[in-house]
Amino acid sequence: MGKEDSTQWKTIEEKPVKIDKWDNAALKNALDDGAKKVMLDKFGFTESHRLMDGRLFICTIAVAFAMFALIWDYFNPFPESRPVLIICVLSYFVLMGVLTVYTTFMEKGIFLVALDKDRTGVDPDNRWELASILKKYDDLYTLDMTYTNGNTKKTRSGKITKSVAEFFDENGTFCVDKFEPEVRMLQNRIATSKKE
Amino acid sequence: MGMFDFDFLDDVRRMNKRQLYYQALNFGMIVSSALMIWKGLMVVTGSESPIVVVLSGSMEPAFYRGDLLFLTNYREEPIRAGEIVVFKIEGREIPIVHRVLKVHEKENGTVKFLTKGDNNSVDDRGLYAPGQLWLEKKEVVGRARGFVPYVGIVTILMNDYPKFKYAILACLGAFVLIHRE
Repeated sequence: MGKEDSTQWKTIEEKPVKIDKWDNAALKNALDDGAKKVMLDKFGFTESHRLMDGRLFICTIAVAFAMFALIWDYFNPFPESRPVLIICVLSYFVLMGVLTVYTTFMEKGIFLVALDKDRTGVDPDNRWELASILKKYDDLYTLDMTYTNGNTKKTRSGKITKSVAEFFDENGTFCVDKFEPEVRMLQNRIATSKKE
Repeated sequence: MGMFDFDFLDDVRRMNKRQLYYQALNFGMIVSSALMIWKGLMVVTGSESPIVVVLSGSMEPAFYRGDLLFLTNYREEPIRAGEIVVFKIEGREIPIVHRVLKVHEKENGTVKFLTKGDNNSVDDRGLYAPGQLWLEKKEVVGRARGFVPYVGIVTILMNDYPKFKYAILACLGAFVLIHRE
């Protein structure tokens, strides 16, 4: 269908996000990415990768234990490899537990930590944390924004809850122009209220 | 959209380095979890292969093709006539599930035993390595402790049609790698 030819977009960034609108995870990802884009590209905040790196670190160690067990067991067939296997298996399952704790208590659904860099570089950065919830079999998307002042450590937060139907068209194309104002308004509300 | 748009790859193309790495890690963790459960079972049961699938009808009517067997292999438990053991003969890839027929034990703990399939008319000496008359403890993979009927038929089908197996594995792998959580 000529008009929608993909060669029309030079980079993947320019291509409209089109998803399977019945796929809940895809919906949430598209909205999260949209909010992320607004915060980083439009407001010019810098992304902090700390949270994600923590998770990547735990996962990497866990997989490393599993791979080590596999290799060790290959070169020292079973009865000899038993002590090493015990250590690896226990470490792996402990790390899976750590990962669960990390995602529930540290990440808490936060998909973006954006830093509003202090221009002088003297004061600590202000933090914006974005978390979202989209329940299975539910159309209500909740975007939760928390602002932490770098100096006073005071936090302010706000949230919007809207039906996902407002941000996607019939074909499942993500309408950025509908979503962006919502994010801006929320950001604005929190940014202005902090000055009171 | 045309047929060759590869739209399904859009998700992957939009990912940054961290997300791509996490995607690969996610795949690694699925494989690792399965691997660690298996190795954990090995440690607990003491058997190098704690779950086996019955591949032949030589033990009918006790076990049929496709039955899933759970094995343990504790050093201190003696082997007795009448027990069902799984053993691996030198030079044969596939372990055999048969019943112990005769046992000879020495004071110093060494054991020699002979096996036979319930459904076979002769004992297993023809199956052993050339010139071998008895099995020893080192050839034992484990002893049958429980079974689930017919569940293993999937494994048999996959072994009979290897292409089918690789196709399924490739599809699952691709799905996990491409699909974003």
